[in-house]
Amino acid sequence: MVNFTVDQMREIMDKKNNIRNMSVIAHVDHGKSTLTDSLVAAAGIIAMANAGDARLTDTRQDEQDRCITIKSTGISLYFNFDPDLALPKDADGREFLINLIDSPGHVDFSSEVTAALRVTDGALVVVDSVEGVCVQTETVLRQALTERIIPVMTINKLDRSFLELQLEPEEMYQNFQRIIENANVIMATYQDEKVGDVQVYPEKGTIAFSAGLHGWAFTLTRFARMYAKKFKVDVEKMLGRLWGDNFFDRANKKWVKKEKDGLSRAFCEFVIKPIKKIIELAMSDKVDDLVKLLSTLDVTLTTDEKELRQKKLMKRVLQKWLPADQALLEMMITHLPSPAKAQKYRVDTLYEGPLDDVCATSIRNCDPSGPLMLYISKMVPAADRGRFIAFGRVFSGTVRTGTKVRIMGSNYEPGTKKDLNIKAVQRAMLMMGRRTEAVDSVPCGNTVGIVGLDAVILKTASISDSEDAFPLKDMKYSVSAVVRVAVEPKNPGDLPKLVEGLKRLSKSDPLVQCSTEESGEHIIAGAGELHLEICLKDLQEDFMNGAEIRVSNPVVSFRESVGGVDNPEDTAVCLSKSANKHNRIYLYAEPLPSGLTEAIEDGKITARDEPKQRTRTLRDEYGMDEDAAKKIWAFTDSGSACLMMDRSKAVQYLLEIKDSMVSAFQWATREGVLCDENMRGLSFNITDVTLHADAIHRGAGQIMPTARRCMYGAQIKASPRLLEPVYMVEIQCPEASVGSIYGVMSRKRGHVFEEVQRPGTPMYNVKAYLPVQESFGFTADLRSATSGQAFPQCVFDHWETMPGNPLLPEDKMVYDLVVSIRTRKGLKPNVPGIDNFYDKL
Amino acid sequence: MLYFIGLGLGDEKDITLRGLEAVKRCSHVYLESYTSLLGVDKAALERLYERPVQVAEREFVEERAEEMLDQAAPADAHVAFLVVGDPYGATTHTDLWLRAVERGIPVEVIHNASIMNAVAACGLQLYRFGEAVSLCFWTDTWRPDSYWAKIARNRAAGLHTLCLLDIKVREPSVESLARGRRVYEPPRFMSVAQAATQLLDIVAGRGGSGGVTDTAGVGPDTRCVGLARVGQTDQVVVYGQLADLANADVGPPLHSLVVPAADLHFHEQAVVDHYALRAAPTHAAAEGSAPATPTEKGD
Repeated sequence: MVNFTVDQMREIMDKKNNIRNMSVIAHVDHGKSTLTDSLVAAAGIIAMANAGDARLTDTRQDEQDRCITIKSTGISLYFNFDPDLALPKDADGREFLINLIDSPGHVDFSSEVTAALRVTDGALVVVDSVEGVCVQTETVLRQALTERIIPVMTINKLDRSFLELQLEPEEMYQNFQRIIENANVIMATYQDEKVGDVQVYPEKGTIAFSAGLHGWAFTLTRFARMYAKKFKVDVEKMLGRLWGDNFFDRANKKWVKKEKDGLSRAFCEFVIKPIKKIIELAMSDKVDDLVKLLSTLDVTLTTDEKELRQKKLMKRVLQKWLPADQALLEMMITHLPSPAKAQKYRVDTLYEGPLDDVCATSIRNCDPSGPLMLYISKMVPAADRGRFIAFGRVFSGTVRTGTKVRIMGSNYEPGTKKDLNIKAVQRAMLMMGRRTEAVDSVPCGNTVGIVGLDAVILKTASISDSEDAFPLKDMKYSVSAVVRVAVEPKNPGDLPKLVEGLKRLSKSDPLVQCSTEESGEHIIAGAGELHLEICLKDLQEDFMNGAEIRVSNPVVSFRESVGGVDNPEDTAVCLSKSANKHNRIYLYAEPLPSGLTEAIEDGKITARDEPKQRTRTLRDEYGMDEDAAKKIWAFTDSGSACLMMDRSKAVQYLLEIKDSMVSAFQWATREGVLCDENMRGLSFNITDVTLHADAIHRGAGQIMPTARRCMYGAQIKASPRLLEPVYMVEIQCPEASVGSIYGVMSRKRGHVFEEVQRPGTPMYNVKAYLPVQESFGFTADLRSATSGQAFPQCVFDHWETMPGNPLLPEDKMVYDLVVSIRTRKGLKPNVPGIDNFYDKL
Repeated sequence: MLYFIGLGLGDEKDITLRGLEAVKRCSHVYLESYTSLLGVDKAALERLYERPVQVAEREFVEERAEEMLDQAAPADAHVAFLVVGDPYGATTHTDLWLRAVERGIPVEVIHNASIMNAVAACGLQLYRFGEAVSLCFWTDTWRPDSYWAKIARNRAAGLHTLCLLDIKVREPSVESLARGRRVYEPPRFMSVAQAATQLLDIVAGRGGSGGVTDTAGVGPDTRCVGLARVGQTDQVVVYGQLADLANADVGPPLHSLVVPAADLHFHEQAVVDHYALRAAPTHAAAEGSAPATPTEKGD
């Protein structure tokens, strides 16, 4: 049963006020996919009977098996807005298109959420009514708000409150109130003034209450309308009364603001009690009483439905009375912004170029006839093996089949040809969960799948048809690929398959990184154990046609930095001579001022900032020496924060070697001297350079290797340090298990920093920091120590400097660690001595 | 004993008699192969010297020269380091000399002709040459033009400028350097046409520094001298406007270019006029007799 056609949908795509792009985000297992199903069912793709069980957006077999969502999946839905409801002011007719993206909740797949958020304007935040706001709820909310995504919330799994916990109405109210407060605290923290108040309130209709599994949901607006008729007041007034401290005095038929004996809260009296009553009647099979009650609510049951019993009956009755799709859709259409509205304030955070050029203006106005601006946020494996559909959002202009477009990769620099490709769009598609539908064109404000660009897009890209267009900003992921494994084919003959498979894997997942070590090892890096497990499975089954692979034990990514020394400009300068001995480079390394590393990694300070403004910020907010702040030559490409500064005075021809120096800097910071890991949180300062008089003798071949050696020497001279990644672990457990958690933590070099009781429950929430190195097998250890009562969620939190200098054998832990990393990578066990880098005059 | 022996510019027979005698005493013979290009291959040298010749690329000379010095260190050892042209023509070898001397190894230098003097073949007087410059291949992002200041200075002082043109033999590509393993670019030699184009780019403000302050009166109609394979039997010299040189094909490498002083001595003028470019010459027409006079070409 499909109750709409592709043509109908295409037509509505031109009405930019009648489109809602939204994602469903939540903590793992709070019921996103199940809730999504209710919406999809209403759009008529799957039959009503299966709603709640089909999980249409879980397109993969493993997703169905594990009952978790792994990949975010897009689906376009077409709705007719109920004629009884008030339309949003700017709407154009009652037909609406909802581009919905269901995204995973497990922290290991947060990068999928990031990709989903980029293409949407609004988000439905799903929170479990029993578990409340959890660590991943907070993470995704923060991500959403930094992307300027407007949230609405639904408190889900109400059936658990009614059936499992059998809570009293007032307890439920208090519980909901607490969840809302917790969520609003987060929203207030990350609020952006350009977007306005994004907190959610039940009495404003921005919070729904739902039971996704049973397919019912409501907002207070729904009840307010019902009671407004009854009490003969207007809906607005009624709405206000249904939440907060409003009590109805039945005896005197009066509303009171103060709690008193014998009075019950309006929310409990008018909202919870009727539902509770229906549930009780249905569960005890009192069909006749139920039919009577329902008739007062204008709900009639068919004969077949009257035959249903208990849970099935309850589910059907509540679905009929409070259909989930209607409540959620009304909330989404009324309170989430259309692309036309959202792009007005999103353009500032999206576009890299000047905010007054043609492209920016066209994005701001969501102009379908402006220059094409499209962001590809992820690559989705296509039906024919090995090919990918580029999935993204059109922010301006219209993408048409056959158009020649400019594809700007993440290393594109405006005005150059770097990382730029020009190709024709083979086909534009609508993404419909497991299906795709080809269309001629897709105008701005919509999501789109594009065929024919997979050869030139690595993971993400900006696409335009204008030569003057700057790219759209790259996404920032909240997680890092800190866990890695080495893979090799069991049968050496499968090596080409592996190499090809890794390429495809790298495309299919926004976060995963595939690389080849010096030793020829193939490395896959992911966010955590689960993420890697899924990647490996994909690699083997989908991208290598089932060829068997051998996988090493997981290892962790590290970062290299320097501790710094006093007066580095006098004591830590390294001199290196070029191979032809005619060029000399002098530079030293020092740590970045505190806070700056994070600011660079969060994209607050970038290479593209206006230099004067940036100099001021660096000087005033980070206490950087003004001379240094003015003379930044380069930021790293890799996203790991390092800077190179030219602090030399009056060196002839210096600008001619800048390119070579920058390449050397990128190279050196990508593979540090300690153990070939990325460098982080340091700057290289060039103090002097002497060059041969003739350009031929100071080409890249002479300068690059020399500058790199010099940086390595400088790193060694500035007291090198190793950084390890640390997880923030959130554990929920009963009080009795808390002690065991401390025990497991201390064995694993972790430490607990917060321990609170979850209000109203016997459960404790424990937060701790745990080095990622120690996290392998942590879940299993914890389970056995707490008899399976503690469930951890690990999310990458920060890089921690490990104590000691890895060059000194007396600092045994880091020294041994560096030796073991080097050995694993096939390098000489000991870090090369300073003589390899420092040349005598 | 380490001999630095110049091979001259032509073929294997250009080595001096003293140089040949020295080579024949040597147990190891290295041929420096990256700062210039000899007209014949290694086998011809080996036939004449009656001993094997090892080709020494840039990496060997810059990074592994100690091996050669080790061989030359014993009192009775003789090692030859052959350099096309003159041993001191290319600056890198002074470093080698210094290192040998520091180790107490006796060094003997046997000179030969170099482009630095053979350039006089075009008729411009050697006395009037100023500081020489090198032109390197430009990339998208690396377009050094700092040498222009020297050409301008020479012109202002009424001097000619000899421009040596880039040669890349077994150079690692920049991308491969950045990735940490070496992949070599195919050999490339800058032609007179490429050099003329680069000079025109610079005076038109398209160089790396984005516009030179002093064009020294150089423009598309400035007459310059292009030289190819100087000292070899098929040597070519052409004299013409830069704009024409930018389209001229003077045949296989090596090429050089001279930016002459603004006014020439009448005798200089007479010789260069002999080489005047009437239309773009073809190499085919120039082949055979040396020095060749360019002929008409109906292109």
